[in-house]
Amino acid sequence: MNPEELRITAALAYLDLGEEEYEELMRAVDQMLEYFSKMMEVDIEGLPPTTHAMVRENRTRADQTVPFSGIEALLENAPEREDRFIVIPNIL
Amino acid sequence: MSSLSSWIGVLSDPVKTKTYISHVKKVEPEIGAFLEFDPERARQDSLEHGPLHGVPFAVKDILAVKGFSLTCGSRILSGLVSPYTATVVEKLQQAGAVVVGKTNMDEFGMGSSTDTSAYKRTNNPWDTDRVAGGSSGGSAASVAAGMVPFALGSDTGGSVRQPAAFCGVYGLKPTYGVVSRYGLVAYASSLDVVGLCAASVGIAEEVFAFMRGYDERDNTSVEYTASSENLPGAVRRIGVVSGSLGVEPAVEKTYRQTQEALRTLGYEVVPVELTMMEYYAPVYYTIATAEASANLARYTGIRYGYRPEFAENPEELVRKARSEGFGEEVKLRILLGTYVLRSGFQDQYYQRAQRIRTAIRRDFDQAFQKADVILFPVFPTQAFKRGGDGLDAFQQKVADRFTTAANLAGIPALSFPAAVENGLPVGMQLMAPPFGEDLLFQVARKFTDVFSPPQAPHYISLWS
Repeated sequence: MNPEELRITAALAYLDLGEEEYEELMRAVDQMLEYFSKMMEVDIEGLPPTTHAMVRENRTRADQTVPFSGIEALLENAPEREDRFIVIPNIL
Repeated sequence: MSSLSSWIGVLSDPVKTKTYISHVKKVEPEIGAFLEFDPERARQDSLEHGPLHGVPFAVKDILAVKGFSLTCGSRILSGLVSPYTATVVEKLQQAGAVVVGKTNMDEFGMGSSTDTSAYKRTNNPWDTDRVAGGSSGGSAASVAAGMVPFALGSDTGGSVRQPAAFCGVYGLKPTYGVVSRYGLVAYASSLDVVGLCAASVGIAEEVFAFMRGYDERDNTSVEYTASSENLPGAVRRIGVVSGSLGVEPAVEKTYRQTQEALRTLGYEVVPVELTMMEYYAPVYYTIATAEASANLARYTGIRYGYRPEFAENPEELVRKARSEGFGEEVKLRILLGTYVLRSGFQDQYYQRAQRIRTAIRRDFDQAFQKADVILFPVFPTQAFKRGGDGLDAFQQKVADRFTTAANLAGIPALSFPAAVENGLPVGMQLMAPPFGEDLLFQVARKFTDVFSPPQAPHYISLWS
């Protein structure tokens, strides 16, 4: 992977990498991508993709609301809160 | 052999409860299996008169239990208290079993040693200088040290079976979908299953019967139909792979000896050809990191968990929360996953991996024509030491080459203690076609006729 690609990828993942961390991860990512390249040996002609472990029909359910009893407990997990609002920095 | 009956009622009786807690408080400081331990906190959520009433059990900190933390071993979820309980935990509570605490794990299930946890180290009860394995290391160690008869874990690529093997206990990875994932924090959704570590094959079988079944809150869950209902009769043929496996001598030796023992027990040991073996780990890591990068996108520091001291604007808040909240192994996997899903690279990596996954499944379909179950090693090494003598992060990933197969194929697998070498346990695993858990229990139980697994030295359970 060229260094610029890693910067783009990190930005897409909302990760800021320090210089040292960047070097370290660059090495680790390269090592894994090289390992992944082993998959190029396989002839995949005619093989459909497996997207799910158990092949099942699509499942649907009624579009109904179900009350959730832990709303207050959920809100209590917010790092910063005013009444029923979660506080975040200003959007400029 | 340890049985569940000796544990029934332990937490229903005040005197036994006291003895139990003091036992755990004595053992736990050397092991470090728990992130939280409090047998009282969720006791009122368990039925008083179920078949498992008063039986203590531990839950990996990736499964929600109301009132307990839910950190996934990550700093980014520090301070999070779960407002609800996972279906699988509720099912056990309805049977009377009591959650005593949350166990340590590799961050978001990403690791083979439990050392990527942001919170603490978990030591192997057989040798506290060694790792307990991972990612469900706390669950396996809590069972091996006699603190609970069973503990829930999650297995995405071997995370129940490998620590079970390192700690000398049983580890079940069920068929994909037979245990509800509602309340399980997602790592790689097409591979994740809830499993358990247990002190004996009997406990594993008994507890699994309470865990499984369709759940309307998990659309990928399925009703369980034991394969013995479709496939009458006992296991006769056990498939094995030949040739050098490239594993430590103790593991190689145990693989051969286990085959011999199974032959003496009357099974027919037949060679099976698994042509895709060398691709399990690369395919697994491509798919798992891709799914992880999507699943972990939800952690922003806004609604719950770790929030940085200061941020100019919401975008900076998210970037800082993620950069400060995730550990190195998690960042690596997010980066890899984001990369293999990027436009222009999908064909080369993610799509290719999904198509090879089909070939792997077909390989197993064919192998199960020849054999009722398949015997595999669990991991190429026994429990390793920390630092230079151990395995580095890359070697640990390559070493997942035996466990990832069952997750990719969606089939059940059971790791069981098969020998003690160099003072440490060696685990082997059996794999079966979907819904074949009962076949795995059948063979593992029979195997105890020739090898009765010892408990970790110094950690004899109070109630066995």
